[in-house]
Amino acid sequence: MKKIISFTINGAKQELYLDTRKTLLKMLREDLELMGVHLGCGGGDCGACTVLLNGEPVTSCLVLAVDCEGAEITTVEGVQQNGELHPLQQSMIEKGGIQCGFCTPGMVMNSLALLRENPQPTETEVRQALSGNLCRCTGYAKIVEAVLDVGNAMTNSKEAG
Amino acid sequence: MKKFSVVGKRIPKTDAPDKVTGRATYGQDFKLPGMLHGAIRYSDHAHARILSIDTSKAEALEGVKCVVTAADVPETRFGFYKDNMPLKKDVVRSHRDEIAGVVASNEMIARQAVKLIEIVYEIMPAVFTVADAMAENAPLIHPKNESNHLITNTYSHGDLEQGEAESDVVVEVSCKLPYVNHASMETCVIVAQFDHHENLTLWSTTQIPFLLQKDLGQALGMSPKDIRIIQPTIGGAFGRELDIYPYHPIAAVMAKKAQTAVRLCFSREEEFRAGPQRQPVEVSIRAGAKNNGDLTFRDVSMTLDVGAYVSWGSTTPMVMMETTASFYRVPHVRFKADCVYTNNLITGAMRGYGNPQSSFFVESAMDMLAEKLGMDPIQFRIHNSNQPNTTTEQGLKITSCGLEDCLKALAQRAEKKLEQPEKTHLKRGRGVGGTLNVGGGARIYRSDGCGATVKVDDFGHVSLITGSTEIGQGSETVLAQMVAEILGVEVGDVRVINSDTDVKMWDVGVHASRTTFIAGNAACLAAKEALSQIFETASEMLGPPPDLLKAENGQIIAPDGNSVSLSKVVRSRHFRSDGKMVHGQAFYDPPTELVDKESYHGNISPAYGFGMQMADVEVDTETGQVKVLKLVCAKDIGLAINPMAVEGQIEGGAQMGLGYALSEEVVVKEGKVMNPNFVDYRLFTSADMPEIENILIESNDPEGPFGAKGVGEMGSSCVAAAVTNAIYDAVGVRLTQAPMTPERVLAALDALEKATD
Amino acid sequence: MKAFEHYAPDSVEELLELLKSKPNAKLIAGGTDLLLQMKEGTAQPETVVSLKNVEELGGFSVSKNGYRLGTGMTLRRITRSNELTQNFPGLIYAAGVVASEQIRSLATLGGNICNASPSADMVPPLIALDAVVQLVSSQSQRELPLSEFFKGPGESVLKGGEILHSIFLPQPSGSMIYSKHAPRKYMDLAVVGVAVRLAKKNGKINEARVALGAVGPVPFRAEKTEALLAGQTLTTELMREAGEMAAGECVPIDDIRGSAWYRKRMVKVHVRRNLEALR
Repeated sequence: MKKIISFTINGAKQELYLDTRKTLLKMLREDLELMGVHLGCGGGDCGACTVLLNGEPVTSCLVLAVDCEGAEITTVEGVQQNGELHPLQQSMIEKGGIQCGFCTPGMVMNSLALLRENPQPTETEVRQALSGNLCRCTGYAKIVEAVLDVGNAMTNSKEAG
Repeated sequence: MKKFSVVGKRIPKTDAPDKVTGRATYGQDFKLPGMLHGAIRYSDHAHARILSIDTSKAEALEGVKCVVTAADVPETRFGFYKDNMPLKKDVVRSHRDEIAGVVASNEMIARQAVKLIEIVYEIMPAVFTVADAMAENAPLIHPKNESNHLITNTYSHGDLEQGEAESDVVVEVSCKLPYVNHASMETCVIVAQFDHHENLTLWSTTQIPFLLQKDLGQALGMSPKDIRIIQPTIGGAFGRELDIYPYHPIAAVMAKKAQTAVRLCFSREEEFRAGPQRQPVEVSIRAGAKNNGDLTFRDVSMTLDVGAYVSWGSTTPMVMMETTASFYRVPHVRFKADCVYTNNLITGAMRGYGNPQSSFFVESAMDMLAEKLGMDPIQFRIHNSNQPNTTTEQGLKITSCGLEDCLKALAQRAEKKLEQPEKTHLKRGRGVGGTLNVGGGARIYRSDGCGATVKVDDFGHVSLITGSTEIGQGSETVLAQMVAEILGVEVGDVRVINSDTDVKMWDVGVHASRTTFIAGNAACLAAKEALSQIFETASEMLGPPPDLLKAENGQIIAPDGNSVSLSKVVRSRHFRSDGKMVHGQAFYDPPTELVDKESYHGNISPAYGFGMQMADVEVDTETGQVKVLKLVCAKDIGLAINPMAVEGQIEGGAQMGLGYALSEEVVVKEGKVMNPNFVDYRLFTSADMPEIENILIESNDPEGPFGAKGVGEMGSSCVAAAVTNAIYDAVGVRLTQAPMTPERVLAALDALEKATD
Repeated sequence: MKAFEHYAPDSVEELLELLKSKPNAKLIAGGTDLLLQMKEGTAQPETVVSLKNVEELGGFSVSKNGYRLGTGMTLRRITRSNELTQNFPGLIYAAGVVASEQIRSLATLGGNICNASPSADMVPPLIALDAVVQLVSSQSQRELPLSEFFKGPGESVLKGGEILHSIFLPQPSGSMIYSKHAPRKYMDLAVVGVAVRLAKKNGKINEARVALGAVGPVPFRAEKTEALLAGQTLTTELMREAGEMAAGECVPIDDIRGSAWYRKRMVKVHVRRNLEALR
């Protein structure tokens, strides 16, 4: 069966005619060519496919695309604004939080969700929030550092401002 | 110590911006026009004769382009024991044996179609343990062999009997180390395409592009010169793609039959079931020492289940014997490893490559000896530490050696005593474990070299074309730093190109912690040659002879302060009659040797790295759960070209090592993987990781580029050893089987309680 | 995956009418269990009906008797509710240790219950809180204690056309603690799940609930253990005995996540520890 769904993706309106079996992950990669959303396991266990669905982090491999009617979806491609890297992206680069990079988009999206809700998380809160994103390269230390650093930077700019 | 401009600096990875914005193109993302998708049909049994294969229903499914079986492949054998073939014809020897493949318009249809292939088998008896495989009348995995015994590797130095006689204390322990999986976040991907001249291009996440050309040619019955390998951005490897596996030629066979590009992309389940695993080991070690602390002997014997087809796992005895013979100073050593075929999984290379296993049993024995001698475990190791500029009995020429400094750093940290928590059921302990790892590659192949080309263009843009491969470890950035340092330019002005066998020079592969050292030396030599050409022309322009010039900040500077920009020099050299390019090349093959075939003596690496770790653990004696509170990692890395990248390797290695120590195990029952997913194959998450302190010991290697040695493997090898020793310190039980799961720990505590009752 | 028809009704009435006409339809709420089963081929529905647009099922209401939680409440939403956190901290803790934040954004309370996994984390705490489930179809309505909702692993008493509409929790009485025993801090299925609630009067226990998960074909109340505790003062000896009793009541199996002997031991330890914390 196929259905028409309309939704917003990275701020832009979109309408697609899709097989009901298609997951959000496959729709993003195949129909919209948003290759930054990665397939790591297909079972919701690794977090590499994390996107924001109505602001909440979800493993897109376990979401039916047709269940996204009317939703606002954000992927890593939608994080930059006007060609400028988001402070979190900048921090990840500077702190060495990226090695092979396969888990990176998922880490960015989940961290963004965390920071929007809790702009100054503690280390424990960051580690808990990111526990759904597996990484085999970094040991997480520098990713956690990058997220904490963004929180601190936001505090400092508030204090300075 | 000389101050460098970019070497030694915490420079962010040059590929990081593309990765953090989702722009990097991984194998999964790569598309070609008209590309189709393949899926593989695996065996339903561990050991069986194939009586018939009916592919008609699969072929009839809408969307299927074609089906391939052994009939589509020439009668070839590949692998270094020539015991494997792309698609199995008569006999399947394991659950992961590939029997057929389907090519379809999309992956979903291809995977549906493989289920429709009907295979009739005659089931044969199978063997799943070394003991069963070696029993009389055991079914033969490969009938052309007399038995399932593959090979026995033996090594010795000194005189074991003398060593035993000289010992005041002797310890003995038997250990069992598991199958674990690389679990790279990206799964294997191959895209194969033939052109009109029957040349094959393979886009692959391989770590050995040049060896793959050769092996693939053998598997397909074609000339390697007609094969081109291109590597996309790779999402982690850790040794998984250090060999040719059936899926490489299968992808090519699919592309040939389908007459178009075909992509094979492993699912996560396939990674676990059909990919290679780390070599499991069952080992016994006896070791002795004198009352004054001198080690006297080590006697090691082990059995290795190498599965049905041989891959790199069967060569891990080379590394394990090296650790047994040369880690700490031991005058008398005997080592024996029996490799046996079974109907189990393929064992391949995996980070550390025998060292996580050997560190575990060697370091367990070291702690047991220290205890019997009444010596502090760290002081005991310092007493027996390897020293710089010594050659071991095995023939390893140790030049730089920071082992003692690593140990002393840990001793200093250990001065802060571990406090016991208030709750009496929680017990804390501290333990150390270390590793000796080759620091500059290992000559396991006739050549251990890497080629590099450095070209500088008219605008001052530098291209480093290197034979080595970036698998996420940061080699591109580190190589760019070295070239930038030599040419006096910014790291951002250097682009590293490393992905096409048609373009780059030969390299044996990314393994054995060799990239910084060997690819680094090649890049430096090539850069120096390019620089000499620049200086030749700059000397004409500025006056002083070339050997008085310096390159800094994009300028060539004369002693009197006059300077000219590097790009201007290049243009001047180019735009004239009889103009020349700036183009340096080098092939660096280190001054090492293949070890002797019989005795395994020889100097296999141009440098050796040492790493130590200290683990603080807390054991819940009621549940058996072990929490690692802190890891102090002291690593002798020669020189940190990029300290941030080095830390990243150590921290990442720690995650892998912790999993090996405590939670990761590929559970295999009758040849089948029982936990082919991330629910039951447990990687440490961010919430499970302990505090990590990194101590980088810079012993300045004389042969390494800028003094650097490799670090890629060290981080994961010592953790399990440190943890088992820490658990012993905490609760007095020695865990001899990894992973040290809560159940195993609790069972050991129960046994101790029973024994002391 | 097998092809299927997909419906997304906007109201409970529409939902129930659909299920009446298609009694073999599978409900999808968060999809974190069902979609996995459909990918693996263990579930092959021809019709899938989504709960996502049925707003009525996604919230909770409070009355003087207690709290009615909608089946479609996501675990993330549950953990963010200050009111629920204040009144049912043990339940909110359980919601917070299910899988990951990404799964919790999707997974629903109803899904966690109706999937009927013996190790579901929300179930022992809800049983210990005396949860009552409301099952509704286009023709009927019935209520029963959550402890009677499960028939076997993966099997509940839901009939064709029936949905789990809401879960009723009486006003909190006493304190409830849930312990999840698992190898890692997050991401794991419970090897053993132990929920203990005690309400005391004049120093004596007047209400005891011990609910166990992952140690039997269904989550269940350890009634002998509850009887042992009822009316007693909590002493060290009683807590130890209760742990032993509960271990004796459970019937765990050996599987890849844990051996039976280990699970029994963990029940013993966690029942005792939860009681110590409730002292």
